Amino acid sequence: MVDRRLAWLAGIVLIWGAAIFLNIISLQIVHHQEYAKLATARQVVAVEIPAPRGTIFDRTGQPLAMSVPTESVSIDPLRAPDLGVASELLALVLHMDRTALYGKMKWAHDNHHGFLWVKRKIGYEEAQNLRNLRLEWIHIQDESQRHYPKGTLAAHVLGSVDFEEKGNAGIEQVLDAELRGQPGQARMLTDVKRRGIDSQSASDMKPGTPITLTIDERLQFVAEREIAAAVAAHQAQSGSVVVMNPYNGEVLALASYPTYDPNLPPQPGEDKASRQNHAISVPFEPGSVFKVITLSAALETTDLRPASMINCGRGAITLFGRTIHEAHHGYGTIPMAMVLAKSSNIGAIQIGMRVGQANMHQYVRKFGFGQKSGIPLPGESAGKVRKPALWSKASLPSMSMGQEISVTTLQLAQAAAVIANGGLLVKPRLVLKKGNQTVPMEQPVRVLKPETAITMRQMMEGVVLPGGTGTRARLEGYTSGGKTGSAQIYDPVARHYTHAYNGSFMGFAPLTNPAMVAVVTLNGTHGTAGFGGLAAAPVFHAVLTEALRVLDVPKDLPDQTPARTLVASDEESSDLAIADIGSGQPNILEDAEEDEEQPGQPAGPTVPNFRGMTMRAVLAEASAQGLTVLPDGSGVARVQYPPPGSTLRQGERVRVQFAR
Amino acid sequence: MATLPAFFRKTSETGLPALSPIKPERDPFQLRALPQEDVFLHCKKIDNSRLVREPDPQARGACWSAIGAACFLLAVLTSVLVPSVASTLAGYRLQALRVEERQLLDEKRTLELDEAQLLSPQRLEKLAQGQNLVAPFPGQVVRLNAKGDSAVAMVK
Repeated sequence: MVDRRLAWLAGIVLIWGAAIFLNIISLQIVHHQEYAKLATARQVVAVEIPAPRGTIFDRTGQPLAMSVPTESVSIDPLRAPDLGVASELLALVLHMDRTALYGKMKWAHDNHHGFLWVKRKIGYEEAQNLRNLRLEWIHIQDESQRHYPKGTLAAHVLGSVDFEEKGNAGIEQVLDAELRGQPGQARMLTDVKRRGIDSQSASDMKPGTPITLTIDERLQFVAEREIAAAVAAHQAQSGSVVVMNPYNGEVLALASYPTYDPNLPPQPGEDKASRQNHAISVPFEPGSVFKVITLSAALETTDLRPASMINCGRGAITLFGRTIHEAHHGYGTIPMAMVLAKSSNIGAIQIGMRVGQANMHQYVRKFGFGQKSGIPLPGESAGKVRKPALWSKASLPSMSMGQEISVTTLQLAQAAAVIANGGLLVKPRLVLKKGNQTVPMEQPVRVLKPETAITMRQMMEGVVLPGGTGTRARLEGYTSGGKTGSAQIYDPVARHYTHAYNGSFMGFAPLTNPAMVAVVTLNGTHGTAGFGGLAAAPVFHAVLTEALRVLDVPKDLPDQTPARTLVASDEESSDLAIADIGSGQPNILEDAEEDEEQPGQPAGPTVPNFRGMTMRAVLAEASAQGLTVLPDGSGVARVQYPPPGSTLRQGERVRVQFAR
Repeated sequence: MATLPAFFRKTSETGLPALSPIKPERDPFQLRALPQEDVFLHCKKIDNSRLVREPDPQARGACWSAIGAACFLLAVLTSVLVPSVASTLAGYRLQALRVEERQLLDEKRTLELDEAQLLSPQRLEKLAQGQNLVAPFPGQVVRLNAKGDSAVAMVK
């Protein structure tokens, strides 16, 4: 009896166990995939790990552009129970227009769209308020927002990003791939309350590469401040400044005005010029600053030397059957150094004619004109240099004084660097490091012989010394060299040159071992006050003074603050140059170069008259008076500069040309 | 049928002299009568006091084996389950720390942004102007902690 009962019990237990076992087999083997999928779908959540966009630093490590996390709100309009109530609720929390939001939601709902961005980049409080609603049709997603903490500083260099954080201008655009990074993905196991228990990385997140620029924010700020002030003071349309290390091409400051705030998206009706980088994208006729190229080519290809006498025709020259006058008063025969210091157009034409068409074109190209510099910024202009085959008879003289050619401010800085670094063309560099890796500089190309570059430096010093056209660029405590330029702007509609000018100044300091070059351009200035010597040279002075101090460049002149340069008189300001062809017709040879020679206040010894004296006597006399003489040639003194009776300023030297 | 108590109450009310109660000898093994039932139950008292339990080492061993097996099973189960539970708890903690780490990193970035904004040259210049400060002239700043070759030379 008992055995029978036990047998029954054992049978029931066995059947029960078998049922459980079968069910386990069904769950674990037969339907394993199905249930595993269901479990995964419920428990495992794919979480995207956002990759922050790389920060952009200046050369001192100050962040110029950085991304910070933020959140955005999207909804599923198909799951919202009542669009009217939903839109009212969202509008209330997110401070939005309820009607407009309802319209968008209705449209999405009617078109069966299950996703709609409501508001991007919301604040922390707004996000918390939305979370507290605990509505399943509202989704809050992690995003990041680009910030430019310095506001408008270096806006044209940095560029900006769109709503998806994709670069659409400047470095942000060119280096978008490096800056962007790669978001990662993690699979997170969650509990019933959707709390994370464990997570595994499915793909690693790669943050955007931080970029270190060659820009120094302190110099950039000064450059922007000064160019903005100059543009306002001279009613110019735009302006740009480039400060560069001449040896490695590192761009220390690149300012363009008008400017914009990259934190703000483009507004309707906004001036497009404000988003244009005038330093690299807007070519212009350089005018007299280009004489530096003419004279460099002359030193290289002809037997002309700084002391070589150039016949400036007393203000007139007959060229191809036409007589060209200098605008106000002309010069007779003056040394080539004086042609540059006085910015004589006719002198430059004479020198250019000696150089010849082929050499001129060759050196223009060698200096980097007519080709992009390769700076990593979008929209760089190559300028315009016509092929020699397309040149007219007037092209060579025009080009000699900076017309019939268009250049950018950056190209001028590149050319100035050739003079400053001893004759090498260096490519401008804007990116110092990508991550921890230094971006190598390109091998420079020799353009000029070192002695030519040094000679050019000496001649360019004459421009900023009293009697030159760029005395306002002279620096306290530092020697410097430069060249002014004031080119009339050509009106292509009226087909003649207007009385608006491109005032510019290119220069470097200190003279013997230049630490930096700078080019300042003001576009669309008016009147004599808008000439390069008056409008652009002071900007050069302000920027370089600050730059030399910030970069701890040792002084090469004694500590003596020179007296402030006075504004030149009318006669002195009319140093040169409208080449008049007499017909009143538009003339390509017209050059509004009227850069001023400006006398300094009497601050030093008076220059004696050396004419007719032997070299020994000149040196003895100069030594007795504590003057420094730069003799050239042999025989007796024929020409001297500054002229007898003028007052020498601190650091100024007297050039004396000897001849038999 | 009347019960005995009812019957005795009836006889006392008739005035007859109460009969002296005859107390029958109580059967010590008789249990209390069930009400209104003619069933009488008796229990049999068995006195086992004289019995002595004989020790059964086999049963004792089996008992201890069962206890030991239960403890072992418990230990095995604990050793299997504890890491899993600990892992789950650690997972919660880890996730919480990850979230906290991310929040701190976000906060750090926000603070860096604030710092950069506060150090912007525009702002510093405004502050300097407000306090009538001017930029020094070149060479006017003398650094006492001179960097470069001279410092190295002094160390050597």
